[in-house]
Amino acid sequence: MASVQPKIKSKVRCVDGEIGEIVHVIADPISLEVSHIVVRANGTQRQVPVATIAAVRDDSVELLCNAAQVSGFPEHRPEDFLTSKQVEIPHLENKVHVEPGDLLVPFPVLEKSCARRNFFAGFIHVIGALIGLPLVWPVLRFIMAPMYAPYDNRWLKIGNVSKIKTEDVGVQFIFKKSFKDSVLQREEDKNHWVVKATPETLKKVYPQGDISFTDEKGDVIWVNKQTVPYVAFAGKCPHLGCGFKWRTHKKLGQVFLCPCHLSIYDNSGKVLDGPAPRPLDVLPIKVSATGEIEIIDVEYKSGKKELVRIA
Amino acid sequence: MMPLLQKVYDFVDERIDLKTLEAKMMKEPIKGGSRWAYVFGSVLLFIFIMQAVTGVLLMFYYIPSADHAYASTQFIIHEVDYGWFILSYHFWGSSAMVVMVFAHMSQVFLWGAYKSPREMIWLVGLALFGIVMAFGFTGYLLPWDQRAYWATTVGVEIMDKTPIVGDFMARFLKGGPTPGQMTLSRFFVIHVMVLPGALMGLAGLHLFLFRSAGPAGPFRGTPEELKAKTDFFFPRQVWKDIVAMAAVFLTISSLALIEPVVLLEEAKPDPGDYHPEPEWYFLFLFQLLRWKIFSGELGQFLGATAIPAAFMLLLAALPFIDRGPERNIFKRPIALLSWTVVMIGILVLTVSAIINREFLD
Ligand code: HEM
Ligand code: FES
Repeated sequence: MASVQPKIKSKVRCVDGEIGEIVHVIADPISLEVSHIVVRANGTQRQVPVATIAAVRDDSVELLCNAAQVSGFPEHRPEDFLTSKQVEIPHLENKVHVEPGDLLVPFPVLEKSCARRNFFAGFIHVIGALIGLPLVWPVLRFIMAPMYAPYDNRWLKIGNVSKIKTEDVGVQFIFKKSFKDSVLQREEDKNHWVVKATPETLKKVYPQGDISFTDEKGDVIWVNKQTVPYVAFAGKCPHLGCGFKWRTHKKLGQVFLCPCHLSIYDNSGKVLDGPAPRPLDVLPIKVSATGEIEIIDVEYKSGKKELVRIA
Repeated sequence: MMPLLQKVYDFVDERIDLKTLEAKMMKEPIKGGSRWAYVFGSVLLFIFIMQAVTGVLLMFYYIPSADHAYASTQFIIHEVDYGWFILSYHFWGSSAMVVMVFAHMSQVFLWGAYKSPREMIWLVGLALFGIVMAFGFTGYLLPWDQRAYWATTVGVEIMDKTPIVGDFMARFLKGGPTPGQMTLSRFFVIHVMVLPGALMGLAGLHLFLFRSAGPAGPFRGTPEELKAKTDFFFPRQVWKDIVAMAAVFLTISSLALIEPVVLLEEAKPDPGDYHPEPEWYFLFLFQLLRWKIFSGELGQFLGATAIPAAFMLLLAALPFIDRGPERNIFKRPIALLSWTVVMIGILVLTVSAIINREFLD
């Protein structure tokens, strides 16, 4: 089964003498065996079938025919062939021991007359796009589904004013908030701060008078009256959303201090120091006759000068 | 080789030409010879594989739900045999990955290995850097303790400040206007599916490009000297690589043993006594935001997004700006100075963030 392994540059001898040398070897892409050698004789290249080979020696090949018969073989047309480097034919280069650049395989006939190559390329892209494009919108909507949830305008009980002993001091109210989070019914600890403000502080909290709160449509859902001394500040730092504390500061006295980037606010929520872009956020607040505090857990986008409600 | 093994080898070799594959993998000439400086890329691959293995193991017990993430992580730490070790290895492995990525970037930068014809290796490398940082950011949330929750809240809020796209990006990551179950689901799927896929694909491309360009080699020496010292990837470089991997493995394991992961309280929107802080490798950015000039909306965007993004863009443009063929770092004073300044800057910011901690209590 030893297949013929002619070498490039081997001398080619006919029964009537030497005629030239091998310049290429042609292999059959199906059987992976040499089918022809390309012989250069007198300046022309001719394709000689392997069947014509009598023997392959170290540096020469003997043919069964004579020189005249060789001239009768078809001339080699390079455009009808590809080198083995230009195509993917597994194992070919292991079976035929010729430099990949000198090993040729025939250009498939169907490919030669493939006039509509561009049409096919276009067609393939169009079909691909037709599969992909209709998916863009559904996939986008799928991923975006929970991103713009409606506001939560429920009133939540957070505690009793009896907890507040001193005026103008921040008092933390930690409360449980239960809510639906996708399919889960969850309960979370949240915290807000309530200050029982003196009239001066109240003036600083409500410089423009009453504050009204709106829903998505812009309808007013509640108005905080500037005469109510209880002020609730959202527990979320308007800088980037950390939780701030009521602390004593060396120079500024008692303040709200955020540990994240060291924003400092006074008891009216005004920024005294640090990167915060706006005062603490005031929440809608309602205090019942028995002193129960209720708030709406309004949430604004942090890091903005203006108030942008997000939840 | 044992006869049976030899048979299997021959069987496979006949079908896919193993011998050639093996030769191509191992017989890559390294001009100027193997070096300890070249171990970082291989070490990164090693750390990644270990992260994948320990990560898959953790998923056997971890439950990505706001109700159970914390409890299931505690279960891994306290109830599952060696759970504490697997989790702690994964935790310290992530830090090791970041350290190594900085080491690898520094090495290829100092050696001028980003220059032509290796620009594409460098660019894909930058994408890999982004992926490594994204791994850290998304993984940090998964235990769902206070540390996790707050680092994420602040991180996402920073992203939110990017003009035009920020709001969308932040809501996209949070899966809503505020952090919750959807945030955990998203971070989880990004951490365990999206990023590993992206990293494997890009690391493959990185290596393909590296093999196509060939190693850059030392930055000095005449061609004759380089030729004289050239050896193959195997055995000397592989040996150095494996020694480095073993050292990294020992370091990570020791850290996991000495300093195993301990969770804080379960996540809640009330930070309690906890001072929110990101993972140490983001601390320098965090500290930057404490500066006065980076206050306000614009300042924040500048400090947290624009400056880092501009820096990454500068790195991406680097091979196209710095086109001189000189690779010797001692003859590239601007490059050496910039590297030193950036490294010292990161170090100083990180240390001052740590010093700031005490000052808060
Ligand atoms: C997960 C992250 C990464 C992995 C797994 C990785 C892996 C590798 C490996 C195995 C090599 C081979 C030689 C060596 O180790 O020096 C390499 C080379 C290289 N890498 Fe990375 N790399 C990563 C990230 C990066 C980053 C962030 C950069 C830079 C921005 C980068 C830039 C390069 C360059 C320029 C080379 C060529 C070095 C030379 O020719 O000497 N890689 N990488
Ligand atoms: S989050 Fe409060 S100062 Fe930054």
